[in-house]
Amino acid sequence: MEVKKSNPGNTKRFSGLRHFFSGIPASGWLLAAFAAVLLEFYVGDPLTEILGLPKIPALFGIVIILKKPHLIPGAFAYVGLIYLLPIIIVAKITAPATNWVSEKLDRMPLWFSAILHLVLLYFVLEIWTDISDYRLLMLKLTLIAIMITLSLNIINGYMGEFSCSHPGFIALGAYVASVFTVGLFVNDRLLGHALLPQALGQFLFPIGLILGGLVAAVGALIVAIPSFRTRGDYLAIISLAFMFIVKSLIENLEVVGGPRGLGGQPDWATLPTVFVWAVLCVWTINNFVESTMGKALNAVRDEESAADAMTVNTRKTKMIAFMFGAFWAGVGGGLFAHVLRYVNPGTFGIKKLAEVLAMVYFGGLNSVFGSIVGAVSFNLLSEALRPLEIFKWIIIPVLLILVMIYRPTGLIAFKHFNVKKILRPRPGSKERV
Amino acid sequence: MTYFLQNVINALQWGSFYALIALGYSMVYSIMMLFNFAHGDIFMTGAYIGLGIATGLLAIVSSGVIALPGWLILVLTIIISMFITSLLGVLVERIGYRPLRNAPRASAAITGLMIGIILETGNLALLGAKRFSFPPLIMTKAYNISGVFVTNKKILVVLVSLTLMLALDLFVRKTKWGMAMRAMSYDFVVVPLMGVSIDVIAPMTFAIGSGLAAAGGVLYGVAYPVLDPYMGILIGWKAFVAAILGGRGSIMGAALAGFLLGFIEIFVTMIFPSTLRDLIAFSIVLVILTFRPHGFFGKPYSAKLRL
Amino acid sequence: MKKGFIVVLALLVMCGLSFSAPVTSEAKTLTIGLNVPMTGDIPKVGESSKHAAQMWLEDIKAAGGLKVGGKTYKVALDIEDNESKADSAVSVATKMITQDDVLAIVGPQSSKQAVPAGEVCNNYKTPMISPWSTNPATTDNRPYVFRGCFLDSFQGPVMAKFVTGEYGFKKAAVLYDVASDYPKGLAEFFKKAWEKMHGAGSVVAFESFTTKDTDFSSQLSKIIKSGAQFLFLPQYYNEVPLIVQQAHALGWKNPIVGSDSWGSPETVKLCGKDCYGSFFCTHYAAAGAKGATKAFIDRYTKKYKEVPDDVAALTWDSLHIIQKGIESCAKLTGKVKKDREALRNAIAKIKDFKGITGNMTFTENGDPIKCAVIVKISDKGEYKFYKSVCP
Repeated sequence: MEVKKSNPGNTKRFSGLRHFFSGIPASGWLLAAFAAVLLEFYVGDPLTEILGLPKIPALFGIVIILKKPHLIPGAFAYVGLIYLLPIIIVAKITAPATNWVSEKLDRMPLWFSAILHLVLLYFVLEIWTDISDYRLLMLKLTLIAIMITLSLNIINGYMGEFSCSHPGFIALGAYVASVFTVGLFVNDRLLGHALLPQALGQFLFPIGLILGGLVAAVGALIVAIPSFRTRGDYLAIISLAFMFIVKSLIENLEVVGGPRGLGGQPDWATLPTVFVWAVLCVWTINNFVESTMGKALNAVRDEESAADAMTVNTRKTKMIAFMFGAFWAGVGGGLFAHVLRYVNPGTFGIKKLAEVLAMVYFGGLNSVFGSIVGAVSFNLLSEALRPLEIFKWIIIPVLLILVMIYRPTGLIAFKHFNVKKILRPRPGSKERV
Repeated sequence: MTYFLQNVINALQWGSFYALIALGYSMVYSIMMLFNFAHGDIFMTGAYIGLGIATGLLAIVSSGVIALPGWLILVLTIIISMFITSLLGVLVERIGYRPLRNAPRASAAITGLMIGIILETGNLALLGAKRFSFPPLIMTKAYNISGVFVTNKKILVVLVSLTLMLALDLFVRKTKWGMAMRAMSYDFVVVPLMGVSIDVIAPMTFAIGSGLAAAGGVLYGVAYPVLDPYMGILIGWKAFVAAILGGRGSIMGAALAGFLLGFIEIFVTMIFPSTLRDLIAFSIVLVILTFRPHGFFGKPYSAKLRL
Repeated sequence: MKKGFIVVLALLVMCGLSFSAPVTSEAKTLTIGLNVPMTGDIPKVGESSKHAAQMWLEDIKAAGGLKVGGKTYKVALDIEDNESKADSAVSVATKMITQDDVLAIVGPQSSKQAVPAGEVCNNYKTPMISPWSTNPATTDNRPYVFRGCFLDSFQGPVMAKFVTGEYGFKKAAVLYDVASDYPKGLAEFFKKAWEKMHGAGSVVAFESFTTKDTDFSSQLSKIIKSGAQFLFLPQYYNEVPLIVQQAHALGWKNPIVGSDSWGSPETVKLCGKDCYGSFFCTHYAAAGAKGATKAFIDRYTKKYKEVPDDVAALTWDSLHIIQKGIESCAKLTGKVKKDREALRNAIAKIKDFKGITGNMTFTENGDPIKCAVIVKISDKGEYKFYKSVCP
């Protein structure tokens, strides 16, 4: 984008770079990433020692940048040697092979190909997080952030309303799932003896999460009934009132600990669990927004009366979308509670709201891809800037304002997330070279 | 009965703050169809600016250059703080809202939210984490009227805010500028074609709203003399609820809704266990909106006007 | 293309190697984590903790390091901001343990963060001391987690007994923040203790508000109407002045009694004359302090231009407990995991630790047994020692 036409050499270089990478399919990148994490797994430790780093850089070195600036060159070298170079080399070398595989997979059913890719992605993440538990925690929190961001994007992006109740939905999901697991499977001072053996719990955990999601969806119904009777901004304050109500309700419920919070959730939100739920969330939401319902939703956003005239039942559409978003926020909340293994009502206040909104609008409205980018970059940025203490919360808002001014709908907005297109083979470069 | 009257007075004072802040929200919302989420923090900044001015004036007085009575210092503080905060409001409009005039409304709301966070943390970074106490410009005098306790500060808060509201109402209804504002809120697309420049009306709206918030901030400092950088958040969001409860296009509706919210909160505490205050108060708001979806004085309209 | 790769590779390796030399010497440093809120709801708490910790580090540096088993170790502090959020506190604790290899962690301060972060520390077998968290769940069943302050279950009855003995009152009123962990817990313990002494219904008003509220007139009107003889106010310094002033403006003339959260000098600075004459229960009395406590207060006041609050004092004590624990280890192996275990056992064994906030011995659960001090705010606004109550 930044390339000027008057500088042909520059253009050539950039297109060359793009050309260089364009021949690599998604499977190639995944394979290369796999190779890189394997490399890190085996030679990460010796390499850190050679480079004089105290530890393997946890998040690509970003955490060290501000804390120990003298380690930056080492961290850069590490990232280059472990990630960048191997990924580029492996991706490029295996490109013919992976293209061949992708071509074969392209002819098979999409779900099969997608699952194969996801399994590979899972192993990449699994090996990557094996290095450090900090990575594991960050990855889990980021995956959950993706779920929550995406679910809010349905309402604020695809539907074009302004909802403030997401912290409330997350809280409902978190508490219902926690009460389910803590109440049934854990001996707890608050909720009494375990009713069912712990071994069973792992399998029933999804039921708890779904219950949490459903309760959040019922909460959404309470917001939706008055809000969608008319058009306008009333959703903004009704949802805000709902958020205050949920917080106050939980504070008054002594059974779940009131403001003291509820702790001791079993450690069931493991990486496979969170990963599977996140994938499910992305998959269903993507299908939802690409379906007729999703198109109807966009129509309602762009011109409600026109949509109405085209036989779209606007109220029903909005309500379903709203409840669907709330459901996934609830599931995300349930996972969040089990990753932290503690919840308290204070977490789900205005601060959480600002955070979720920031992730949605930073990433991009009306775009699954944008939400993923928003959640991941916001989380990475937040960790990287932590050493700045107070100034972190000046830099992040300034960045977000700049994004809003130059790209008012977010970084990657209004982009389709077409799985088939992402996974397709890219043999194009072969002919051109 | 005295108990009831006592709570009416409590509610009048508390409602004044909601009303003053809700007015600023409502003006921006009515005229430009925007949520100005920075408003709560503009209120906070107004209070801090007031603190600075009051401290400065007190220092001048105590150095003996000029003798000013406490009430005069207070009046000066309110006026200067309103003026400076109005400039801040114009700045916020310039940075956060003008570049986004053609963007989706929600994006502008996000910039507002972020400007709010910058004001909070900027304050924290500049002044440190300690709280400030607002200097006592006037001595508290409590009057006992057959069991009902009224302080001079309470009377002052209610009177000053009512005066400001009346002044605003006159301005909007009687002056040419006020007419331009009302026209703008009536039709956002055509009115600029009639020679009313949005680039004048928008900063003016922000300036007036911020000025009112600053007056609210100084009065708040007088009534509740502990200031902290996050003081604007909760009251700001609640005033936002009041502003929209009042109805779009009705500035006085916002003021009334602000008082109403104050009354709801105080009287819920009076009747029910106070632990349930937020729960019940916001449930009442929810019920009101279910039956009066356009607020008290609002008219049905299309929210898609600017999308 | 290949040439390019080799060049980049060579550059990266050289770049890394050239910086590797000075870093290896860091191996002997002991790192102590400080997991505190520098932003968010209670930035002042983070600031005080940081100040106290930096003062502690100065001492260690002046002594040339910590001596363990004949060897001297350098000490470094790893201060991280947890933004007063539970999830951030967990991330910070995990990061400190797995990335920064801290030997022990001080903080988080508030219970909403100390409870989940304690879980993390216990799982990774890293000693953690929360100087300020009063929730029983923080240390419950967690051998690696300790705390530096007494529990609400101790403080509540202390105040109930004190008021009964001092004034002989029968009817109590309580006003507390329902959305905050500490005031709510303490309010309930106080209510239980009071009703045990004076019968059910003797707490005639049990009123609440929500964090960040500033208008308490309605609750106070209710309390005045209830005919209570005194008001118990387990609140922080940002609410205490407002509540006390508003109560007086509404015609309340009876005593107001506070808890250890009044302990910051800001309370009286913000509250002014309205608070004079009130009693509260705390960890130490700043005015008229003697010995080490006085030295600490004088030094802190000189350095940071403010009287240290309870958070600073408790953080200071917690760091000294860790220091004592480290010093009483026979030797450090240099392997962080083993050293953490040794340190945990050493801390658990500490008997009669002489801190500036009182003498401490840890129970099985990691809670200290220590005395509470009742302080009276004098007519000059100083915190005067009144009496000491021991368990």
